[in-house]
Amino acid sequence: MDRRKMLALLGASPALVAAAPSYAGTSSTAVPEAAASAADRLITVLNPAVAPGLAQRIPLAPRLDKLDGKTIYLVDTDWGGMGQNDGILQEMQAWFAEHMPSVKTIIKIKKGNFVTDDPGLWKEIADNKGDGVVLGVAG
Amino acid sequence: MSLEAGEIEQKYRIPTVAAAGSNVVSFGIGPNATYNTGMPIRYIGVPFPFSGQPRSVLKGYIAGKDTVSGKPMMQAIVDGLTKPLTDQEKMSGRPPEAAPEPRLLPPDTEDHLQRLFKEKGWTDYNPVILPTQVRVAAMLKGTSHKPEEIVKTAAGTFGTRRPFTVEKVAVLAVMAGAKPEYFPVILALASLVPYQDSTTSIAQMIVVNGPIRKQIGMNSGMGALGPDNEANSVIGRAMTLIHKVIQGYQEGVTGFASLSNPLRYDNLCMAENEEALPEGWLPLHVQMGHQPAESVVTVFTGWNFINSTGWVEQHYAPQMLMRDYMASLSGMGATLIMDPSVADLLKDVQGFKTKAMLGDWLSQNVEKTARSYWGNSIVSSMLGPLAAQGLEPYATWKKLPGDTTIKPFANPKDIHAVVVGGKTASVWFATDFRPEKGASIDAWR
Repeated sequence: MDRRKMLALLGASPALVAAAPSYAGTSSTAVPEAAASAADRLITVLNPAVAPGLAQRIPLAPRLDKLDGKTIYLVDTDWGGMGQNDGILQEMQAWFAEHMPSVKTIIKIKKGNFVTDDPGLWKEIADNKGDGVVLGVAG
Repeated sequence: MSLEAGEIEQKYRIPTVAAAGSNVVSFGIGPNATYNTGMPIRYIGVPFPFSGQPRSVLKGYIAGKDTVSGKPMMQAIVDGLTKPLTDQEKMSGRPPEAAPEPRLLPPDTEDHLQRLFKEKGWTDYNPVILPTQVRVAAMLKGTSHKPEEIVKTAAGTFGTRRPFTVEKVAVLAVMAGAKPEYFPVILALASLVPYQDSTTSIAQMIVVNGPIRKQIGMNSGMGALGPDNEANSVIGRAMTLIHKVIQGYQEGVTGFASLSNPLRYDNLCMAENEEALPEGWLPLHVQMGHQPAESVVTVFTGWNFINSTGWVEQHYAPQMLMRDYMASLSGMGATLIMDPSVADLLKDVQGFKTKAMLGDWLSQNVEKTARSYWGNSIVSSMLGPLAAQGLEPYATWKKLPGDTTIKPFANPKDIHAVVVGGKTASVWFATDFRPEKGASIDAWR
């Protein structure tokens, strides 16, 4: 297409384009002295940073000496919300059954969505003498 | 998940291992433990993505490596439950506070400071106005509040403790290019942190109502959503800086938005064109319970911003096209942003005497299949569990055959309208932005 016609279609006047000054090469080779000294001037500014507060440290629970004969709860956080996201936990359960058959595993789905707590389930696990928990999967 | 694991560990003393995707697990191990839970929860990392993968892939993940320790996955789980606690894992009490941030930075050249601000993640990577003492002092004249006043304490990403002062907000307001008269709006915005974050492409939208719009020269007319007005542009930019500096959002450290969202550059900062509202259509802030004479900023959260593309035509009423476009939204809420000419047509020609009437009609007429509704993971993850607990209408919708049509905007009050624009085209946007919070601007004058 003719360049003039194309520019007209784009709404630009060919005359304007032709007359537009070129700035290439104007990045100065000779910086005025005043500008150079302004660039070197030291200035003091306020610090934007906000110091985050550190959380109070809480120790973890003591660990088990071994898993043999223990009950481990595999808790699905229901990341997808449809009760269909426990495939990884089912694979974990299958692994325990094959490699550590003395470990009893129980899969539970947490109530509520993935950001809500389920204190009733934690109590249930404690009441039923759960020895350990694997909680997942979020991401 | 750290909070839940922590509750099991702390309250019931049951050893717990948390499994997270490799995309976000570093947050649970790092910043979340340091600033939020205080518990060094033992995490394993599962390769991402795991949702949507066939079972054979999940089996491979379990047979593979934990992305955190590099050990075989199941060995890492067994170790997490049985390896004795380290000294760090036994620590209790409040750690010594980090040295406070100095109020002033060491003197340096403008070029070096601009570079430093970028390297620290304090900018949107456009040049900022450097916050000299003179400029910050001038900004502080825009409010009656004292510089050392704490605006908020629980301000960080996911609510972590990050107390910040009026002066800190003034620093960011200067950096964004604000005039002192904008400062009460920016303080009100800062009072609303933390803004929602997600690995999805979530974004925020700012709507200003009340007399301050005119007092500070916000544009609610022609070109209001474009880069054509100083106040709109600068206030929107200030929110981005608040999110990054005060809230502490750092991509890959405290936040993990895979694509993020270009709307985050100015957060859709707009002022409602209250003067052009049809009679009977209330301004947003009045609908939210404020007085007309109050100045209020409302922060919305959402993902989608669908353009009407063309103007309202004779042969298809505007609410019909709105209905069509809204069928692609999740159904969890919507806000229509429309030119005053569209609002006039909806009222005068189509008979919607109020914004609420329009919301009612759309609630009754937007439809999509149950399969498509539940196919959206935001819907399924948030509302699926409510369906499982029997809450209607979700419980019924979850049992329906996938091809059954439902009316996803069950609550008409979840459909909002904001009128803005200059009456040069009868155009509009359908969005899924939902008003999260509003804050009084007058309280920060």
